[in-house]
Amino acid sequence: MKTLRGKFSLRARLYLFSAAIITLFAVNVATHVWGSFARSESLVAYRDAVTASQLITDLEQSLEANRQQILVLATLRETTEQPLGDQERLSALEEIDAISQRLRRLGGLDGGGTDDYYRRLHKSATQLIDEWQFFYNNYNRASARFDVESSVSYNNSRQRLQELDKRQEYLAVQRSEAIDRTINLTDRITVIGFVTTIAVTMLLVIALIRSTNASLQRLKIGVQRFGSGDLTHRMDTRRDAGEIGELAKTFNDMSSKLQMAIDDVRAAKADADAANAAKSMFLANVSHELRTPLNAIIGYSEMLQDEIGDPQAVDRDQFSHDLGTIIFSGRQLLSLINDILDLSKIETGKMHASNEWFNPAELIFQVCDSLSPLVSQKNNTLKLCVDIDGMGDIHSDRSKLQQIVTNLFSNACKFTEKGDIRVTASKQGDYLHLIVADTGIGMTTDQQARVFDAFVQAEVTTGTEYGGTGLGLAIVKDFCQILGGDITLTSTLGAGSSFEVMIPVDQESDHASA
Amino acid sequence: MNDTNATKILLVEDNEINRDMLVRRLTRAGHTVICAADGEQALEIMRNEQPTLVLLDMNLPIKDGWTTCREARADSLIRHQPIIALTAHAMENDRQTALNIGCNDYATKPIDFPELLGKIAKFVSL
Repeated sequence: MKTLRGKFSLRARLYLFSAAIITLFAVNVATHVWGSFARSESLVAYRDAVTASQLITDLEQSLEANRQQILVLATLRETTEQPLGDQERLSALEEIDAISQRLRRLGGLDGGGTDDYYRRLHKSATQLIDEWQFFYNNYNRASARFDVESSVSYNNSRQRLQELDKRQEYLAVQRSEAIDRTINLTDRITVIGFVTTIAVTMLLVIALIRSTNASLQRLKIGVQRFGSGDLTHRMDTRRDAGEIGELAKTFNDMSSKLQMAIDDVRAAKADADAANAAKSMFLANVSHELRTPLNAIIGYSEMLQDEIGDPQAVDRDQFSHDLGTIIFSGRQLLSLINDILDLSKIETGKMHASNEWFNPAELIFQVCDSLSPLVSQKNNTLKLCVDIDGMGDIHSDRSKLQQIVTNLFSNACKFTEKGDIRVTASKQGDYLHLIVADTGIGMTTDQQARVFDAFVQAEVTTGTEYGGTGLGLAIVKDFCQILGGDITLTSTLGAGSSFEVMIPVDQESDHASA
Repeated sequence: MNDTNATKILLVEDNEINRDMLVRRLTRAGHTVICAADGEQALEIMRNEQPTLVLLDMNLPIKDGWTTCREARADSLIRHQPIIALTAHAMENDRQTALNIGCNDYATKPIDFPELLGKIAKFVSL
């Protein structure tokens, strides 16, 4: 039953089942027909045997009667010499004719196995009939002599007749026995076939029901497991061929797709949660960053307000210095707000490159020139190495490149003291290649890994010691990517850092704006 | 300022501008203030100088305020010294965390100076 279930589809099983039952019925019908045929054959044989037996008896009697008559006539002829009347002669010849007709009828009957006997009978009987006809036709001729006493041909005929009768009887018995056997056999086959058909049909029905039921049961269990949420479950599709296997496969597919959909939803939810957490974190950081300069602004303003009411406490130089501190903190707050706005635009995907043709060498000179006070502030030396002739114009976002250069340059100045700031720019293939290197404090590997993250400065101290929001490098990296390029960092702690920017010369020819 | 028996406040703050500002305002309000710029330095001063009160910024280099506070609370010599946390972290859970690790009070930047003076008054009598 396992193979039945495994190899065949439900439809194939039904077809096989029907074919088997039809075959069994056909066998039944065939044996029944065979039995009927044997019965009718036996009936024909029986009728033939009866007819033959009757004819033989008739013939025996007729031969006997004629023989007696001829003997009587022969005796009369010798004693009375009275001639035979025409009437009598004709009726006697008719009688003989009837005998020969019966003989022919006997020969006409189906004589399987009796042909030799009939031929011998026919020979003897024909001779006898010839003798008798000769007797009657020549009776009135005085010269004619008949040897009626010697009865060779008569005895022969009778003997042959009896032999034929015996043979006929023997064959009839044999034939009827054979036919009886056939009938018995066909009857038995019919009964056995019928019982077998019923048994096999029942077995097949049970097998069909059980196999189909088992298949459906497995389907049901599988579907129940899916229904209870176990979408990693897979139905065994190899156990059922055809429709049920296909159905199981379809359910498996459905389950996979459901699983994928659920995974997608979960991933989307996780992403949303992460984004939400990031947003909260961002907000907390923003709040923290804004409060630090505000603390100075409010604190100094309140303090000055207190001091101005106390003429003794007013020291003009101190007063001016404190106002400077308030202004510095206010500016820091403004640049912080600008950076936060930029970062927020970048993160919501609203920051796009607006490209134009411009000369990057010019831009780099301008930035370095405007920031030159930063260079001298900490006694640094600026080394500009810009390939003006080889560079030409580029098609990119001018203001973003300007901010990239500004941020990198001011960072380099901020973290370097009595050292070198080196700005190198050249065109390499389809890319503008910009390096801002310093001989400043440098970074550890751990710091390098986090330096492009928002709100991270290499060390917590750097914020206060060197100023800055911790957003500059995050913005630089994002801008580089918006311009279709990237930024890499190499740095050694205590020996300096080198930021290397690669930006496509014609952004629109290679990259879609981000 | 050489009166070592007088009450004194230790201000732990790494941002120079904010530190100067608070020192000046607290001094003007009549307090004696000593300073530290990081957690390590703060613990040292707490042990050596036994300040009456510590104003502790949480965002500190070398050893941040949270660690400093925990270590102070684990040190039998200084565990009784009152600590007021000062921080720009303004979320409710920051406040709760500060109180949980053993800070006696909590003030958010930008500092509301009169309020801070009120908090200081609970621990330091002039």
